[in-house]
Amino acid sequence: MQLEEMQTLWTDLSAEMEKQKRLTDSIIIKMTQTNYRNKLNKILIPETIGGAVGFAGLLFILADFQKLNTWYLQVCGIISVLIIFIMPFSSIRAVRKMRSANISANTFKQALLDYSKGKIQFVFAKKMGIYLGAILMLVILPVMGELIGGKDFFKQTNLWFYYVVEFPFFFYFARWVFKHYVKITVDAENILKELEG
Amino acid sequence: MDNKKEFIGIVQANEGLIYKVAKVYANNKEDEQDLYQDIVYQLWKSFGSFRSESKITTWMYRIALNTAIAHLNKEKKKGNQVPIDDLLLNRTDTADTLMNERSEVLFAQIKQLSTVEKGIILLYLEGKTYDEIAGITGFTTTNVGTRLGRIKQKLIAQIN
Repeated sequence: MQLEEMQTLWTDLSAEMEKQKRLTDSIIIKMTQTNYRNKLNKILIPETIGGAVGFAGLLFILADFQKLNTWYLQVCGIISVLIIFIMPFSSIRAVRKMRSANISANTFKQALLDYSKGKIQFVFAKKMGIYLGAILMLVILPVMGELIGGKDFFKQTNLWFYYVVEFPFFFYFARWVFKHYVKITVDAENILKELEG
Repeated sequence: MDNKKEFIGIVQANEGLIYKVAKVYANNKEDEQDLYQDIVYQLWKSFGSFRSESKITTWMYRIALNTAIAHLNKEKKKGNQVPIDDLLLNRTDTADTLMNERSEVLFAQIKQLSTVEKGIILLYLEGKTYDEIAGITGFTTTNVGTRLGRIKQKLIAQIN
């Protein structure tokens, strides 16, 4: 179908639609109210759950930090606290930035620029999250071993066993996530390139 | 209340516009319904800041297209949608079977275009001038012409 033919068909279709007015007052009112609740839920639920779990972990480590009685456990404890603190914030910041674009004031071009750049930053934050998550897995195990079980994993010969079990799962999960993010980044970069042309 | 009444009137008068944007940018019926509602919601949210300096349809296209872009970024979670009668979204299911088939081909062809091109072709098919398209999209008038030329080439390539 060529452009001229498309235009004729589009005009016919539009005329047909004009005859089929279907939106009632009550449907429109419901749409303006229901979506508001959905939007809030979508943003708040995952952020609140993630934030609460992180905060609980943070408090747990900080409250019993004195139990970490060797320098290497203290180093692991400090790194764990820092990662638990940084991870949700960088992710939430990236999500907020992506969603903060002004729908009513922006032009189509500006909206596309904002969203594509926001998407690339979001993917970057998520990738950082995976790297930090890998480090967290390494350092939190001895910390929790000491705080929960009272065992210094560094003095036990079977510490490597936990890592051997953990890391293949983490590796395959990370590979699956990265594959997904590569596509998102490529799509966003293609839009940016197209906008320049 | 008067504000809401006025808004309802505007949406009802331009419901085809919302439908067409949702149809072009959504991937399936469920997504289409979600986007349709999101556009109405965003229009309502921005309605207070609408100034009559521009035409109401120009303002509506801008919000609808920007909402469609924002929608592409959302996680595919199904929220508590307002149950919309299937009839509302099946506007192309007219009594004319030939027209149904042709309109499906039309939308399928548009969906093969890029995100940027979909917006431009939609406005062009709506009968907007290059200047009006430039005003809504933020591209220069010359750039709109160049992009439409490329879209034409792409459509010809699709046929061959």
